[in-house]
Amino acid sequence: MKNSVSGRTSWLISVGAAALAAALLRRWQLASAFEPDTGLATPGAQASVILMCLLVMAGAWLILLAMGRAGGPDPARRWDMVFVTRGDPVFPALAVGAAVLAALAVPVLFVVGVDQFQLYQMAREAGVQPPSNNGMLTLATAAGALLAALGLLQMGRDGLRPGRRGKGGFSAALPGAAGCVWLMESFRAHAANPVQWDYAPQLIAIVVGMGFYMDFAGMSAGAPRPRRLLWMAGMTVILSAPPLATVLAELSARTAAGSSLLAAETGDALLLLSQLLAAAGVLWRLPPYLERLDRSGPDRSGGLEEASIEEETTDE
Amino acid sequence: MERDNRMDDKLDELRDTPGPEEGQDPAGGRAKRDGSASRDLYLNVRVLVGMMAVFVLLFTFVARVIVVSGPSMESTLWERDLIFVWALGYEPRQGDIVVLTQEHYQEDSIIKRVIATGGQRVDIDYNTGTVYVDGQALQEDYINEPMRLPGWGEGVNHVEVPEGCIFVMGDNRNHSADSRHPDIGIVDTRCVIGRGLAVLFPFSHWQGL
Repeated sequence: MKNSVSGRTSWLISVGAAALAAALLRRWQLASAFEPDTGLATPGAQASVILMCLLVMAGAWLILLAMGRAGGPDPARRWDMVFVTRGDPVFPALAVGAAVLAALAVPVLFVVGVDQFQLYQMAREAGVQPPSNNGMLTLATAAGALLAALGLLQMGRDGLRPGRRGKGGFSAALPGAAGCVWLMESFRAHAANPVQWDYAPQLIAIVVGMGFYMDFAGMSAGAPRPRRLLWMAGMTVILSAPPLATVLAELSARTAAGSSLLAAETGDALLLLSQLLAAAGVLWRLPPYLERLDRSGPDRSGGLEEASIEEETTDE
Repeated sequence: MERDNRMDDKLDELRDTPGPEEGQDPAGGRAKRDGSASRDLYLNVRVLVGMMAVFVLLFTFVARVIVVSGPSMESTLWERDLIFVWALGYEPRQGDIVVLTQEHYQEDSIIKRVIATGGQRVDIDYNTGTVYVDGQALQEDYINEPMRLPGWGEGVNHVEVPEGCIFVMGDNRNHSADSRHPDIGIVDTRCVIGRGLAVLFPFSHWQGL
């Protein structure tokens, strides 16, 4: 167990530090890199440049970390068993936590979508120019969040109850597919916004999150890419931090103004936190497994025995 | 210890389960088919998800398609025309049709023609319906009808455009809220989303812009 801690620790520390730094830089950028009266981005603002550099360097560093691990795309290996976690409650706890957050986003987005739809209908009936948003994509995002919650719940369950080969984490494809609707809604909400810094970080975080979920699902669907999954999980955590800082700042502004927190930003915050937790679960589980592959060589049982017994004994 | 033994038995059972890559017996064959179907389904979903991600990123950073709303650009663009807009690395130039947003006027984007860019002077003579840029009268074959004095008065009509800004007007001059309107005025180029390059739909309106 001691040997397996080092790989996990280096990933968690690297990713956690980068995510924290990215969130703080985003707060600094919000405070300093936009003109107060127009909200337009100041060209060459220090905070924007440093944030961009940090994200690029973090991506490069995680590539180096991932390349240092074993685990080529060997479909015959039992990659679906990587996330069997008897004796290690962290992964299922994070997966279930992610499911709960996604589920909490459902009623929020549903209420927001219904409000938007009613406003649109009222404008049409009054014969005035209706708002560009008729609420349908927000309602679809709520449905997608429900799908994501079910998929994440199944991921946590699979982690606790190993099934037959191939059963494992295909449910991870559900939040990945649901991310498509969330992505469309996030783009639509900012389609007329000329300030890309306002929304591009969130779009990129959603895209990388979708890639992470799809690679996770591939582990049990005969298309494993473990090193890329590691990178995707790390980048999902890091890239989720700046938009999370943005929506939290918007929500605190709403609170200060006495506005309701039943807003699209609340849904975004919950979904970003959800994918962040799921990715953290993979970062907790996958590096020690790959490190064991480095030590044990081409054992196609998936390292199940070693992994589980090792962790079971620490539990007793 | 007894628990360890039970777990070892379970692990052996799991490890010995024939997988899709190994099974040769009927049960293994079914597992192989199941695994293959699962992999195919996964690969199809992955392609769709990847395509969606690529489309949205292209729309965000490179180019997008927008629908014209309102009559301000008639008769160059009509209500519900679908136009292709290029965003990546675009710098506004005189005569271009651009999509921009002035949030203090309206949240949705608007589409106008660039009349003058930073450093140029614009003078509008409503008596003759002529627009002068740096003292030269513009030859405007594209406008819908002769320009009249707008309902809001002369507004912004004798102005030097600051660097980093543009002066825009709709081709349907008498039904367009544009840089002449006091609430819109001179537009910062950072508010420009991109340049309209072509009308894509309906096909009867297809044209380069």
